[in-house]
Amino acid sequence: MPDMEQLYQQRLKRYTTAMRKGKPDRVPIRPFVAEFIATYTGFTCQEVTQDYNKAFEATRRCCRDFDWDATVPNMVYVWAGIPQVVNLKYYQFPGVGLSPNVGFNYLEPPEEQGSWMQADEYDALIEDPTGYLYNVWLPRVSRDVAAPGQPNTLKNNLSFLKGGMQMMNYFGAFPGQIEKMRTECGTVSAIAGIFKAPLDILADKLRGYLGLAVDLMERPDKVKKACEALMPHLYHVALTSSDPTGTVPIGFWMHRACVPFISQEHFDNIHWPTLKPIIEELWKNGRQTLFYAEGKWGAHLKTFATLPERSIVFHCDRDDVFEVHRALGHKFCISGGVPNMMLAYGKPQEVRECVKKIIQGVARDGGYILDASAIVQNDAKVENMKAMTEAGREYGQY
Amino acid sequence: MKHGRSARVQHGNNAMTTEPKFDRKPGEVIPWREKVKELPELSGNPDLVKKTWEDADALAYVYIWQLLLSF
Repeated sequence: MPDMEQLYQQRLKRYTTAMRKGKPDRVPIRPFVAEFIATYTGFTCQEVTQDYNKAFEATRRCCRDFDWDATVPNMVYVWAGIPQVVNLKYYQFPGVGLSPNVGFNYLEPPEEQGSWMQADEYDALIEDPTGYLYNVWLPRVSRDVAAPGQPNTLKNNLSFLKGGMQMMNYFGAFPGQIEKMRTECGTVSAIAGIFKAPLDILADKLRGYLGLAVDLMERPDKVKKACEALMPHLYHVALTSSDPTGTVPIGFWMHRACVPFISQEHFDNIHWPTLKPIIEELWKNGRQTLFYAEGKWGAHLKTFATLPERSIVFHCDRDDVFEVHRALGHKFCISGGVPNMMLAYGKPQEVRECVKKIIQGVARDGGYILDASAIVQNDAKVENMKAMTEAGREYGQY
Repeated sequence: MKHGRSARVQHGNNAMTTEPKFDRKPGEVIPWREKVKELPELSGNPDLVKKTWEDADALAYVYIWQLLLSF
């Protein structure tokens, strides 16, 4: 029986040393496993999406069985228990109009209905972002929430009562899960807190990608002012939800604010000027940010390299991890690079060779964390995840 | 579903609202400086009342911003 606290401390040191661009005893392994936990443990996607205790349990079983240094306490991150009681329109959950064996879906608003935020509402958002969210956005994205001035309903009242209580329940369950990961598995909770960039959140939940693409051409000044208005709030949420000790980074989920979804000009003039100051301020307050760069961000690597040394960990999804290392490895820890397609459709030997090649090319001087390219879903094969882990241990010794 | 403006009206409420407008800072929904205007004269330790209000108000702020960012 291993000494779990000793194991935890070894893994924590390994993980944090790499994140600070140091050379630990070996390459840390930190997969972000979502619906894979269901594949591995025999739960359905529906079970781990509807019942967070099952998701917690499945995560811990993976932690016990795989030699991982760190992972997320629950990467099936949209627990259905909140969106269902608020009756949000933009999700579909497994087992509710979907097979119980697929992950949840995020739905862009149907084009004929317009977006969740209308094009002529920028001024309202800019003037009072929090008021806009409560008074306009929430009644629009929920089937139950009544807007101010509309007749009140039982469903409206219950959406706030149940939504608030569910959020307290869910967030309140995380300290227990993190403690169990530590004491039962010796595994580190990989991140704490949430951050999204102003331009990304405009596209994700307010204007939709299509709406934002039009706005960037027709009203770029409004878009920029809206991003500026969102900045202090997104910074506040990131800081207050982060690890107060600054040991583990804040998760920054990067979606579509990159070329070719937006132009280089819009990146340079709107996205980056409303993102960089937040990252710098978080760093001044002792918080690293994990750039979870979903998709391809190769057009912007030189720009990211202007951030303070060690202020971020850059997670590589579909970019060439060797190119990312050449552009950013002198300043930041790099993670990821093992293609999810390979984990789903490849053979264990291919995975082993891929891990070996990445470690030899990227991890030689430390500052690398082994992980899949993106969040690991239920299509990943168990034997390939085992191969990634075993190869990481075999080739990742310093 | 009809296209165009009528569909848009059907889809959503108007951004114009009769709700009072506050200067809200990050972390606030109904700031104490506004709430206190509704209350009778405070006696004893007003800071206790203020803290109780602000602690609960901060949760309301977390609720809406977490809905936007995480759910």
